[in-house]
Amino acid sequence: MSATAAVRTRAVAGAPTRRRIWSYWRFYLALSPFYVLFAVFGLYPMLSTIVLAFQRWDGLSARKFTGLDNFAFLVRDPTFWQALENTVVLFLMSTVPTLVIALLLAVMLQSAVRFTSVYRIAYFIPNVTSLVAMAIFFSSIFSTNFGLVNAALRSLGIPQQDWLGQPWGIKIAISTMIVWQWVGYNTLIYLAGLQAIPKEQYEAAKVDGAGPVRTLFSITLPQLRPVVLFTVIMSTIGGLQTFTEPQVMVGNSGGTGQSGMTVVLFFYRAAFLDNDYGYAAAIALSIFLLVLLFTAINWRVFRGRGEDR
Amino acid sequence: MALTRRTLLGGFAAVAGGALVGCSSGMDTGTTKKNAATELTMWCWPGGLGKSVLDDTVAHFPDPKIKYSEVGGDFKQKLVTTFNGGTSIPDITGLKGEDIASLLPQAERFVDLKTVGADSVLGDYLDWKVKQATTLDGKVIGLPIDVGPTALYYREDVFAAAGLPSDPAKVAEQLKTWDDFFAAGVQLKKANPKAPMVWDATDLYDMVVGQGTERYISKDNKFVGDQDHIRKAWDTSVKAMTLQIDGRTPSGKPDWNAGLDLGTIPAHIGAAWVALDIKSAVKKSAGKWRLAPTPGGPANFGGSFLAITKNAADPQKAFDVIKYMLSPDNEAKAFADAQIFPATPAAYDKPQLKAADSFFGGQVPIDIFGPAAKAIPVAYQSPFDDAVAAPFHDELKTVQTGAKTSDAAWSAAVSKAKAIAKRQGVQ
Repeated sequence: MSATAAVRTRAVAGAPTRRRIWSYWRFYLALSPFYVLFAVFGLYPMLSTIVLAFQRWDGLSARKFTGLDNFAFLVRDPTFWQALENTVVLFLMSTVPTLVIALLLAVMLQSAVRFTSVYRIAYFIPNVTSLVAMAIFFSSIFSTNFGLVNAALRSLGIPQQDWLGQPWGIKIAISTMIVWQWVGYNTLIYLAGLQAIPKEQYEAAKVDGAGPVRTLFSITLPQLRPVVLFTVIMSTIGGLQTFTEPQVMVGNSGGTGQSGMTVVLFFYRAAFLDNDYGYAAAIALSIFLLVLLFTAINWRVFRGRGEDR
Repeated sequence: MALTRRTLLGGFAAVAGGALVGCSSGMDTGTTKKNAATELTMWCWPGGLGKSVLDDTVAHFPDPKIKYSEVGGDFKQKLVTTFNGGTSIPDITGLKGEDIASLLPQAERFVDLKTVGADSVLGDYLDWKVKQATTLDGKVIGLPIDVGPTALYYREDVFAAAGLPSDPAKVAEQLKTWDDFFAAGVQLKKANPKAPMVWDATDLYDMVVGQGTERYISKDNKFVGDQDHIRKAWDTSVKAMTLQIDGRTPSGKPDWNAGLDLGTIPAHIGAAWVALDIKSAVKKSAGKWRLAPTPGGPANFGGSFLAITKNAADPQKAFDVIKYMLSPDNEAKAFADAQIFPATPAAYDKPQLKAADSFFGGQVPIDIFGPAAKAIPVAYQSPFDDAVAAPFHDELKTVQTGAKTSDAAWSAAVSKAKAIAKRQGVQ
C-alpha cells in the first residue's frame, strides 16, 4: 500500500489542509455506515424533537410555533412534578438494591467453586426475557386476591395488601421487577471486574492478616471503582427511562394517585394518547436534561476527587 | 463501476436529497400522491372485520383487486405516521371509535362519504353512530362497522343465593337506576361479604359519563367538565365507594379474571364485546351468566368505522366496496364470525343475532343489546376529550384509596382538567 504510506508521510510533514483531510476518504468510508445510520435514526429525530418542543402539533395538522409555551406549561404542570418525583424515587428504590445485591452475588460467585457457568446463565436470563410478558407475570404475582405475594403473607398470618392499589405498593412492585431484571446483568459485569483484580493483592492482604470484610473494603471496592461507575451510569440511564413496567402493571394513568407515573410514561401519554406532540417533545427534553444531571452527579461521586482511573 | 470519491459523494447527496424531499412532501397534505388504480388497498386491525365477510367482499370485487392488510399494534399511530409519510396511504382504512373524535378535524384527508352517494345508505345505520363520524359542518368521514352498547352482566347463581332477583326480566325491573343497583349491592354484601356488586368504582364512573348527553367539552368548544352532569357521575362513583360495595378490581386484570369465575365479581357493566373477555376468562361459570339492561340507561363503548382517504384512486369504487361490506346482511355475518356487534338495526332481526347463547343460560343477547343500541344518547366528543378526562380518573382513584376526600379530589381534578383544556385552546 504505497498510497497509504505516502499519505502517512504527508500527514506527518504537511500542515492540516483540505487536501489532506480528503485523502483519508477510504477510512471515512469505512466508518461511514455508523455515522449515516446515526444521522438518519439518531441525529435527525433528536434535532426534530428539539424543534418540536417549541411547536404545537397534533400529529396531522400543520405545526404551529409557540415559543416557550410548552415549557411554561411543563413547569406549572403538577402531573409533571409528580412524574419526576416518582421517577427519582423509583430509580433510588431499584438501583441501590440492584447494585448492592449484584456486588454481593459477584463476590460470592467469584469464590464459588462449582457450576459457576450455570449461575451466570441463570442470573442473566431475567435480562433477556420479554419485559411485557414479565410485567404481566409480576402484576399477577402482586395482584390482591390471588397473587403469590399475598398468599405468602396470608400463610404467615400477615393481612394481605392491595399492592397495585396503593401508592407505595405500586412503587414496591415496580422496583422489585426492575431489581429482578437487572441484578444478573450487573453481577456479570462486577464478576468481570473482580477477575481483573490481581490475585497478588489478595494474597498480600491475607499475609497481612486482613479478614474478608477488610479485604472487601480495602481492595475489592477501590479496585472496582471504574466498573461501579459504569454500572451506576447505565442504571441511571435505564432507571430514569422506566416505562414498560408501570405501563403494563398499572396502565397509562400511572395507577392510584399517579404513583406509577414515570416521566417517560407521562411523555407517552402526552404524545400518543393526547396527540400533544409538541408538549411530549418538551417532556422528552426534560428527560434528557435529567439523565445528564444524574450522570454528572454520579461521575463526581464515584470518580473520586482528583483521582484518575 | 469504480468506487471513487465523486460517485460516492454524489450517491450520498442523492440519498440525503431524496430523504429530505420525502420528509418535506409529507408535511403538506396537498402534494401527496394519488394511489394507483390497479389495486384497492384496505387497512384494518386484527379482528376488526369478519373473516367470511372479508373473503366474500374480496371475491365480489375482482377489479380492481382488493388488497387487504391487517395492521397490528397501535393502529391510529401507524395510520398517522403513514399520512405524514405521504406514500402508501391505503384507499380504505378502519378508524376506531375512540380515535374518531381526534380525526374529525382532519376531515380534509378523508372523502366526504356524502359526495359519493352515502345518503342512500346512512339511514340504515344507528343515527348516533353516524353522528360520531360527522363533522360539525356536516361531512361524514366513516361508515360504521360496529357499536358497543353496554349491558349488566351478572351471575345468576350469586344473585339467587343472596336473595336478589336472578331472572333477567326481574333484574331489569328491580335494578332500573344506580340507586336500585347500589341498594341491591348493599343487600348482596350483607348476604355474601365476599361479593362486592361494583367491580371497580372508577371504571363505573366512565359508564355513568357515557350515559349523558354531554361530556367534558361542549360543541362550541367550552369546558363543561365542572358542571352537574360530570359531578353526578363523580358522585355516583363515590357513592359506590362509601357504601363499601366497590371491589377495586379494574377489568382485564388477573384478579378480575379470577373473580368472575369464583363469584367474587358477581356483576360487570360493559359493552357487547366484553362478552368475549368474560367468556375467555371463565371456565367453571359458563351458563351461569345472564344479561340485563344497564342501570340508569345504556352507554356506548367502542365501535369502529371504515373511511376512504383522499388518496383513493377511485373513491366511488371504494365506496361501493364499503357499502357492500357493511350492509345489514354482512354486518350480521360479521357478528356470527367474530362478535362484531352490528351498527345496522336491520341486522338485529337476522338469524345470526337471534340465536340463543348457552353461555348466558340460553338467553338471547340481542334482546338486551338491540334495544340498548337504539337508545344510546348522543354526546358531542371533542378531540381533546380524553386528555381532559384523565385528571378525573386519576383523582377519583385517590378518593378510592382514601388519600383524599371527594371534594378535595374533585376540585383538584377540575383545576387540572381546566389547565389541560385551556392549553388545547378550549375556552
